[in-house]
Amino acid sequence: MIARKDSLSAAPDGQGPQETFVLNLGPQHPAAHGVLRVLTTMEGEWIQRAEPVIGYIHRMHEKMGENRTWAKFLPNTSRIDYLSAMHYTHAFVGVVERALKIEVPARAEYIRVITSELNRIASHMVWWGALLSDLGGLTPFLYAFDDREKILDLLEGLCGARLTYCYYRFGGLYNDADDDFLNGTRAFVKHMPPRLRMYRDLVSDNIILRKRLEEIGPISAEMCRRYGATGPVIRGAGVAYDVRRCEPYSVYPKFDFKIPTYPQADSMARYLVRMDEMEQSLRIIDQALDQITAGPFMAPKVPRVIKLPPGDYCYAVEAARGRFMVRIVSDGKEMPYRLKLRTPSFSNLSLFEEASRGMILPDALAMMGSLDLVIPDIDR
Amino acid sequence: MNATLERLTSQFVQLIGPAAVPANLPVRAAAGPHEPATAAAIPAPVPAAAPATVPTAAASAAVATGTPAAPKPAAPAVPPPPPPSPVQVVDHALKGYHFDATVSPDQVVSAASILDREGFALDAVTGVDWIAQSQMEVVYDYFHPVNGLRAVVRTRVNRAEPELATISNVFSGANWHEREAHDFFGLRFTGHPNLTPFLLPEDATFHPLRKDYQP
Amino acid sequence: METPLKSMGQPTPQSFQPGPQPAPGSERPVECSQIAQFAKLDDLLALGRSYSLWPLTFGLACCAIEMMAAGMARWDLARFGAEVFRPSPRQADVMIVAGTVNKKMAPAVKLLYDQMLEPKWVIALGNCALSGGPFNFAGQYGIVEGVDKLFPVDVYVPGCPPRPEAIIEGILKLEEKITGKRHFPVAKLKE
Repeated sequence: MIARKDSLSAAPDGQGPQETFVLNLGPQHPAAHGVLRVLTTMEGEWIQRAEPVIGYIHRMHEKMGENRTWAKFLPNTSRIDYLSAMHYTHAFVGVVERALKIEVPARAEYIRVITSELNRIASHMVWWGALLSDLGGLTPFLYAFDDREKILDLLEGLCGARLTYCYYRFGGLYNDADDDFLNGTRAFVKHMPPRLRMYRDLVSDNIILRKRLEEIGPISAEMCRRYGATGPVIRGAGVAYDVRRCEPYSVYPKFDFKIPTYPQADSMARYLVRMDEMEQSLRIIDQALDQITAGPFMAPKVPRVIKLPPGDYCYAVEAARGRFMVRIVSDGKEMPYRLKLRTPSFSNLSLFEEASRGMILPDALAMMGSLDLVIPDIDR
Repeated sequence: MNATLERLTSQFVQLIGPAAVPANLPVRAAAGPHEPATAAAIPAPVPAAAPATVPTAAASAAVATGTPAAPKPAAPAVPPPPPPSPVQVVDHALKGYHFDATVSPDQVVSAASILDREGFALDAVTGVDWIAQSQMEVVYDYFHPVNGLRAVVRTRVNRAEPELATISNVFSGANWHEREAHDFFGLRFTGHPNLTPFLLPEDATFHPLRKDYQP
Repeated sequence: METPLKSMGQPTPQSFQPGPQPAPGSERPVECSQIAQFAKLDDLLALGRSYSLWPLTFGLACCAIEMMAAGMARWDLARFGAEVFRPSPRQADVMIVAGTVNKKMAPAVKLLYDQMLEPKWVIALGNCALSGGPFNFAGQYGIVEGVDKLFPVDVYVPGCPPRPEAIIEGILKLEEKITGKRHFPVAKLKE
């Protein structure tokens, strides 16, 4: 492990300031997980300043929100953060349901929880593979996608999409979960724990991984608070902030699950938080499968033309990367007056400049991998 | 009620109360080149909407004495009227936040400092373009990482001169959020370290989320 | 499956047939194949190229995840010789434009295309790369409506995002375009 260099701008021998150079990383860089560009000012191997430059995949979601009806914006939500599409759709249908005071049937809520948690596991599998391939090992990627495909098959049977699900509707779901899905999910819940144990033996306890992640990229709880970082980043700093607990939504209060936290606040802590979260998601799914009952999957009275009462409404969910919030302002018409998407990756990346100061570049990239960025989620 | 919410309420009433010169917003609005009707209309409804929602007696007294109600536009009321009381405790199940405060544009930094002392984290900074009233609303969302409270602080600036102070000295994360708000709405945050195009191309001079934007 | 491919860009081996001589004074540049013919060698080269396509690791958005999935064990793009993803454009033959290209990104995408060595091919993956897809609406201010506005595209793969099967089919179409012959059977839909 190379220690963090705290006293920059001074040569090792104290002979005055060292020369710096600017290194441009991206916007097409295999380690940047998409089209992130980082302008780094390097002092030898050490980063003096790493400024993320974003906007290379800005897709005008907020403008589109003002241009189409509530229902027509629904497919957009799954394309903001395509890896946790279910959560994002949940936030958007949730805000409309909150404004219209629609009571969602219990069965629909349970299916929402099951699918959301499956999606969380699938998202974490992609992160896991991508982080490990950033660190130089491609093999875990193959394992991760193997398990992920099992989830995708389940969700595809439910709503027809592999990645960008548009499964939730205002007041319920697109269709009911059949026995194939429920039995398949039961089988998956049994299948996954041995795999997670194998991942722990194969990767988490691996000395190379630990050397690359432990004590690398510390992000303190205070820094998280100042930047508004959420999700595994803040939980890896020892703060048990989880929207599922702090602003309970759907039927999450009915489940017994832990919020994994690690106080070390380094990259390894964030890694372990996500690995534990997958176990907790499985626990939630298991309980939901036991508690789910037959019943309707759509609220009885959902207006065909949706017009929200004037005012502003927020709805937050715990997406795979952290707190996702939709803030809408309605003027009583069929379209939103303003739609704001508060995405977790945006806040999580904003601390990168401060956190990466004085690190060597490979460590900074390992830390970036542990932030689990999805670039369209940042740019929106 | 929650102790944090009580503390917040009293602090915000203190913040808004003493600075009760009802000229805060209207002066700024009057400085704008157009909309004389709005500017004239703003000072009128000062104590009309005396807040009843503020819980503590002292607090409500302080508000009633001199706080300007949020500006009531003279323009046709197509958009919803702003909340009647500047400081409100809201039902989370209805709105998605617990606390709602309307401050004048020069109080946003003090408001941010209050929330910072209470341990809140910045959620988002965004604008809403009220073109009919020739105003630009700036909304600051906060969340509390420990107890999960949500607070909203909002302010309104003149649409022609959308200028207010940056809070990036209080919350470092506001840096990016304010750059984004500048991109989309042309809001100018004075004192911001780097208010350059962010999500838009480097040479962008347009502000696409303004309601009068034409591509 | 018999849709004609848009013939733009590189001379494919089909065009290596002995062609008519350019008329005197015509401005068409003289191609090497018009002077010297190595028909069998060209066919052999095309076959080799088509089964060792090295795509550029170039993920833009959602489609990139499906592109990654196509390269993984279940869909196994390696069966068709296109699994060696190269991070450098200098080493890549085929650019799979997987996602939305916006106006800020467009110069970088164009630069990547220009940096690739001939012969090179382009697959536009997903509706965004085809036409702007869902983000193409009246009053849009940010995106490039179709990547073929930047450079020639050989194969268009629709979908939002396209399934891995569609990506594999896109690769097969490209191989068909390179060699002039389809070597793998066309999947038939169930009745």
